[in-house]
Amino acid sequence: MSKKRTGVFVCHCGTNIAATVDVAKVAKEMAGEDTVAFTKEYVYMCSEPGQESVVQAIKDNKLDSVVVTCCSPNLHEKTFRDNATRAGINNFTCEIANIREQCSWVHNDKAKGTEKAIKISRSVVRRVNRNQPLDAIAVNVTRRAMVIGGGVAGIQAALDIANAGVEVVLVEKQATIGGRMLQLSETFPTLDCSQCVLSPKMVEVKRHPKIKLMTYSEVQELTGSVGNFQVKALKKPTFVDPDKCKLCDECTAVCPVVVPNEYELNLTARRAIYIPYAQAIPASFTLDESVCLGLNPIVCGKCKDVCEADAINYDMRPETVTEDVGAIVVATGFDLYGQENMGELGGGKIEDVLDGLQFERLCSASGATKGHILRPSDHTEPKNVVFIQCVGSRDPAKHCAYCSKICCMYTAKHAQLYKHHVPDGRAYVFYIDIRSGGKGYEEFVQRTMEDNDTLYLRGRVSRLYRHNGKVRVLGTDTLSGQNVEIDADMVVLALAMVPSKGTTEIAKVLKIGRDKDGFLAEAHPKLKPVESVTAGIYLAGAAQAPKDIPETVAQAGAAAAKVIALLSQATLSRPPLIARVRRSHCTGCGMCVDACPFIAIRLENGKAVVNEALCEGCGSCSATCLRAAIDVKNVTQLQIYEMIEACLAV
Amino acid sequence: MINVQDIRDTARDLLAKGEVRAVIGYRRGSRGMLAEPAFITSPEQADELVWDPTCFHNLSLYLVHDRKFLDHIRKNPGAPVAIIAKGCDARSIVVLLQEHYFKREDVYIIGVSCEGTGVLDERKLAPHLNGAQASNAAFDGDDFVFTTAEGEKRLQAREVMADRCLECRIPFPKEHNAVFGEDKAGRQMEAPFAALTRFEEQGSGERWDFWSHHFDRCIRCFACRSVCPMCYCDECVVDSITFPVTTETTAEDKANRVRWIERSAVRSENITYLMTRAMHLAGRCTDCGECERACPVNVPIRLLNNKMEREAREQFGFEPGASIGGPSLVASFLDSDPGDFIR
Amino acid sequence: MSEQQVYEPRVVAFLCKWCSSAGSDLAGVSRIQYPANATPITVPCTGAISPMYIMSAFNKGADGVLVSGCHIGDCHYIEGNYLARRKMQLIMELLEFIGVEPNRFRMSWVSAAEGAKFAQVITDFVNDLKPLGPQEKLKKAEHS
Repeated sequence: MSKKRTGVFVCHCGTNIAATVDVAKVAKEMAGEDTVAFTKEYVYMCSEPGQESVVQAIKDNKLDSVVVTCCSPNLHEKTFRDNATRAGINNFTCEIANIREQCSWVHNDKAKGTEKAIKISRSVVRRVNRNQPLDAIAVNVTRRAMVIGGGVAGIQAALDIANAGVEVVLVEKQATIGGRMLQLSETFPTLDCSQCVLSPKMVEVKRHPKIKLMTYSEVQELTGSVGNFQVKALKKPTFVDPDKCKLCDECTAVCPVVVPNEYELNLTARRAIYIPYAQAIPASFTLDESVCLGLNPIVCGKCKDVCEADAINYDMRPETVTEDVGAIVVATGFDLYGQENMGELGGGKIEDVLDGLQFERLCSASGATKGHILRPSDHTEPKNVVFIQCVGSRDPAKHCAYCSKICCMYTAKHAQLYKHHVPDGRAYVFYIDIRSGGKGYEEFVQRTMEDNDTLYLRGRVSRLYRHNGKVRVLGTDTLSGQNVEIDADMVVLALAMVPSKGTTEIAKVLKIGRDKDGFLAEAHPKLKPVESVTAGIYLAGAAQAPKDIPETVAQAGAAAAKVIALLSQATLSRPPLIARVRRSHCTGCGMCVDACPFIAIRLENGKAVVNEALCEGCGSCSATCLRAAIDVKNVTQLQIYEMIEACLAV
Repeated sequence: MINVQDIRDTARDLLAKGEVRAVIGYRRGSRGMLAEPAFITSPEQADELVWDPTCFHNLSLYLVHDRKFLDHIRKNPGAPVAIIAKGCDARSIVVLLQEHYFKREDVYIIGVSCEGTGVLDERKLAPHLNGAQASNAAFDGDDFVFTTAEGEKRLQAREVMADRCLECRIPFPKEHNAVFGEDKAGRQMEAPFAALTRFEEQGSGERWDFWSHHFDRCIRCFACRSVCPMCYCDECVVDSITFPVTTETTAEDKANRVRWIERSAVRSENITYLMTRAMHLAGRCTDCGECERACPVNVPIRLLNNKMEREAREQFGFEPGASIGGPSLVASFLDSDPGDFIR
Repeated sequence: MSEQQVYEPRVVAFLCKWCSSAGSDLAGVSRIQYPANATPITVPCTGAISPMYIMSAFNKGADGVLVSGCHIGDCHYIEGNYLARRKMQLIMELLEFIGVEPNRFRMSWVSAAEGAKFAQVITDFVNDLKPLGPQEKLKKAEHS
């Protein structure tokens, strides 16, 4: 094997690296490495002239491999590998040494930073010395997508993808699609009716020939990778045949079981057999197995007796379905931070203290009160209503550190809706700041304050308690510096948005990362805002971060565009960094077969054989093999050994 | 109590009927009382077989070490090879089966229970004989009886038994085709891992003093590796002098050899060798004690293997050589594996 | 002690690509300062870390070795960190057993979102290693 001719390109990143790392010294040290034939430093290696100079240097100096010492490989590994291809060398002979995120940005001491940067760079130079030119593996693409979550984000993504002619499986956990948006009454800043906007889209989903709708279903397992995922989903039994159900409502009339209605945020009750909304999609009743007296005609069976359409079938069983898809959009939405967490505001135990979604249901014409704002305790019209913003948000010490973004706007909307319903009522809003960035948003808030005569008080509420049939609100108006005491008929808390329970669960199932607050993590905060860290899995809606409806719809559209682009390719290339067996060393003990999480290794004639289509290159086999008879290409044990050596060289 | 004639009859019978192609057992050796491994291929040789307290070798070594013989077997499939196996030996055969070294039908296990008396540790016997040489050793109930020039010397087995046998939990070869002797499980003379527990009661500094002393003394003769049935790799990862070059060896294979340690027998390299060996035996070592017996400088190698065995058992509920179909220790995991040590 | 020169330990940090290396990137983006003693080696997964790497790093004179990966349940390769947890516990127990200071080997779970935790893990490790001084027990003697 002739000696490698490696080029080392040291980036200053303006002063981002150069301020705390002596870049000239790094270049000089690398020039002393046996396999390094060329070194260069430049202020912005990733810029057009920077990249051009790399291409030129490769050509001029007949380099066969490249190390760029710069920022994290997550940012520019692809840039420089593509660049290597342009220069006519194999892209897998190019590696990144991360001396910015892992070095210059975290160490102030220039001498120490430089020393560490040299170690990092040297270890990567040694690694590259043994990198082999590799060709990407081509894999066929399953031209089909899955959208998980049937709220407005999932609906929009599914429609956009389906309208491009790609088949979509839309999986929703609840009995109907629609999600949180279906629970809203009107939307800001136009005050158009939420259901009126959403319902037509729901119907479109139902009727779309390219959309397969799976409600009352949960994703349980994911295997495969980008282009070829296999998703296992559990279809829970509804015990009602949607094709037969005539929505006559006879069954609920006879059902003896009464439980709180979660779709109405427990403001009303429902029966064991129920339909979440009159406009539910699919338009069918659902029998809630968890509260039904036993799916047994001997125990009860009233609903089955009364159903003239014979739609009720007690023998339905859960069904596991496996769907092959090439890409996935996750749109599993948000929950509200539970009132029970807000001990200082009564912990959810004070009557007539509602959360924002409950207030939406009170305002909604389809809600429990048929659109009349009546307080739950005595069904009277509240004349004094206090709205409190930032409940649980922006409180790193006790609750959520982040801003939930939409509460300023929906509180303003709530105040307006209240004033429209109860013109002689008084609305108070406690706020910290008003954040009304968005088209028409600031004007909307101003209208709330001025045209709708809502009293905005800048300050926090310290305590709530029942007093003489009202809720006493103790707070501060920091602008006047006075304590405020209001006897309110009703209090509405703008609770923080948190990732839904389903979001937490799906992140585990799909193995996609979550951020510090539990929202799904995007692959890059700026450049990849709709991609998850796993290729082929995209994010949309409030599962990724708090956002309003227009933003959610925009993100869903963006995710759909990514899916369509991905699935428009006939084949995808898979990184060829997969396991390779040294057959002369393999004894066929099968430990790698057991260790492999992807069932990608099998024994054939007493030797391990790697299935290139399944191997993900994790290296579990390599670390388990006692004989070092299996290695991951370009991350071999010898390479790691030499990297260790480089890290510890004095 | 095992009658050696039963073992001989079985071996003779198997060979006569052609049910096995060979019997690996023990016969009287050429050095004093010690038994030595015997390879018997004809029924007439069966009477050479012995069973006495000096049958300490783990004969499963010969199922992996004689490459010519193994090659012959692979090329001429037919009757299995019979092997006499004590509890620990039988478990090491199970590990080899688990690792697909050969198939179950390739081996006929003639199990012999140690019945709680175990086998002899020669080094413990010497002081009892006051310099005399024993010409014969025999089991007799809970005693070992030695024949010397001065006459018969009867000793309680526990006084001269190998340490591992004192602590042995499973003296009965559960995996067998035929078996002799009773299952006297639970008759250990010492608590399991007793010596290990005593050792671990010392502080970190004392443990280091002990081990650095022994690590310094290792001469890297690789006797421990040679005698171990689990060390069947063609190339030892920490000693690549045995690098196998076959028709399948590629230039890349040759280029990718890692020299994890140097060959010089100095402390740092000895440590890496012995520690790696312990790691590689974790979940595979069945404590047959051959490594320690073979060590010419008495490095307490068993203690390292014992440590791994106990961790496997206590932390992961793993028993080496318990089942042929089960996964290996380091190729598997449980959700309940401890993780408290992780920050 | 204050009179003496404080020993600067040399640490090799094996980081999985998906979580801990990404976590270290986040520490960088957040500009969280931590000691420069640890040199990272990014591997695909903690499951790819052979116990030989740990032994080899000590053999070559590392004062401390860190293995850091995804939290249980978050492994990009589903099970790699479970396999690592077992292997690393065995090597850790063995090192302690022969009398190597327990603080010389450390394992942590650092997710891509835990930049601050990454910085803290390195800081704590380096602080715990400093009083131990140079690691001579497993280190290959210098050839003269």
